[in-house]
Amino acid sequence: MSEPAIRLDGVSKYFGDFQVLREVSMRVGTGERVVICGPSGSGKSTVVRCINRLETHEAGVIEVFGREVGNRTTPEALGREIGMVFQQFNLFPHLSVLDNLTLGPMKALGLSRRDAEERAMAYLTRVRIPEQAGKRPGQLSGGQQQRVAIARSLAMEPKVLLFDEPTSALDPEMIAEVLDVMIDLAEDGRTMIVVTHEMGFARKVADQMIFMDAGEIVETGPPAEFFAAPKSKRCQTFLSQILSH
Amino acid sequence: MRPLLLLALLALSGCASSQSWGWYVIDPTTPQGWTNVKFLVSGMWATIQISVIAAVLSITIGLLVALPGLSDRWGWRAVNRVYVEFIRAIPLLPMLFWVFYGLPIVFRSMGVNIPIDPFWGAIITLAISDSAFTAEIYRAGIQSIARGQSEAAATVGLSRWQAMRYVILPQAIRRILPPLANQFIYIVKMSAFASVIGMQELTRRANELVVTEYRPLEIYTLLILEYLVLVLIISAGVRWLERRMGADERGR
Ligand SMILES: Nc1ncnc2c1ncn2[C@@H]1O[C@H](COP(=O)(O)OP(=O)(O)OP(=O)(O)O)[C@@H](O)[C@H]1O
Ligand SMILES: [Mg+2]
Repeated sequence: MSEPAIRLDGVSKYFGDFQVLREVSMRVGTGERVVICGPSGSGKSTVVRCINRLETHEAGVIEVFGREVGNRTTPEALGREIGMVFQQFNLFPHLSVLDNLTLGPMKALGLSRRDAEERAMAYLTRVRIPEQAGKRPGQLSGGQQQRVAIARSLAMEPKVLLFDEPTSALDPEMIAEVLDVMIDLAEDGRTMIVVTHEMGFARKVADQMIFMDAGEIVETGPPAEFFAAPKSKRCQTFLSQILSH
Repeated sequence: MRPLLLLALLALSGCASSQSWGWYVIDPTTPQGWTNVKFLVSGMWATIQISVIAAVLSITIGLLVALPGLSDRWGWRAVNRVYVEFIRAIPLLPMLFWVFYGLPIVFRSMGVNIPIDPFWGAIITLAISDSAFTAEIYRAGIQSIARGQSEAAATVGLSRWQAMRYVILPQAIRRILPPLANQFIYIVKMSAFASVIGMQELTRRANELVVTEYRPLEIYTLLILEYLVLVLIISAGVRWLERRMGADERGR
């Protein structure tokens, strides 16, 4: 197996008395694509947000490229290593599309405006909307906004990309354009952790499937086995529900 | 309606005795009236200076007080709460007396000699007193920006300060500006208190003229109109600014 990019070992998290994560362990190799699925409230977002420190954890170890990230590590300190794409895009509405992409590289990486804009245009081309560079996010469709958000995280040139239900807030006709971009990135050999219910996408790109329920990892495996013969009852029920529509 | 109107007209025209209206005192067509008007209006510059400097200080101090209020740390939030609750509880006039008469004594007891003149006494009082309110305005405005914005800023590597500077504040300012403008209007009006420590601003000038001319009604009427003009100018300025920012938001 390849060198681990991300490693979780026995990670537990509580919101007050409520245990959201129960000893979650996983290993994501460099260049590997992992898809996490599971019912609402099972803790998928929380896992992803723990990896890039948007949430803290109470027990267990999280490592990014062999370096432990504890509760004192801030998310911005991981900005070069880990990119994140949110369900609600979270673009900066007061900035143009181009400025959304250059802000991080200029302020956090110290690139000159020229270099940052050149880089931004390259990634906007990559997500197929270079012509929207001058617009405000509010003037774009949902699918275009999410592609801008993907380009924004790419512009930081992170080693790992996290996606938290990137297509859940989109109208059906816009889902494909975003998934196409993501497939494209996966084929590039990028390390990706994707929370999604798009099982077609998962089949196509995933190296590893993870099914979560009630804060724990119930089942993992390569997609071929995972979809053909889920072992646990909970995973079978979930897959039959989600694949039936 | 009509009887009321009649009554008002009666009051305005008066019965030509010293007990009623006598506009001659500020009639600019007569030499004495013109001198009086010039005397009254000459307080305008001091009122404007005090208000503007106090407002600038207040929005600066307010931001510095608001920021710890947004911290995750309990201790920082406590600093914010104590400042806001304490300052907000002090009435303006007692604070003005304390600053003007008391603060120099505090300084002297510490071995430094910093005299406080009416001008700076008024500015310090207005700025500190108002900063508790501006701090709350900032805090509410900043907290109204969705959490996802600061999260997104962090994931592209911005520090908390950079996120505030480039992502949160530029968005919050549109919500902060209207209530801040209200506070500015409030400062202009409260600056009238500076008259009691001898500051030669609009209200002080009016008081002094009343003492020599015995025409409080006309002089205070003009005084009120002077404040009205100032406030209307501020309102127009703010509306212009808001329109510009609104247009900026919608367009490219
Ligand atoms: N800030 C919070 N405070 C308290 N409870 C929370 C908080 N965030 C999440 N939770 C709870 O933790 C559980 C897991 O939440 P999480 O968002 O990780 O689930 P999820 O699998 O991503 O669900 P979904 O598919 O709805 O996005 C849920 O029960 C949720 O209510
Ligand atoms: Mg979620």
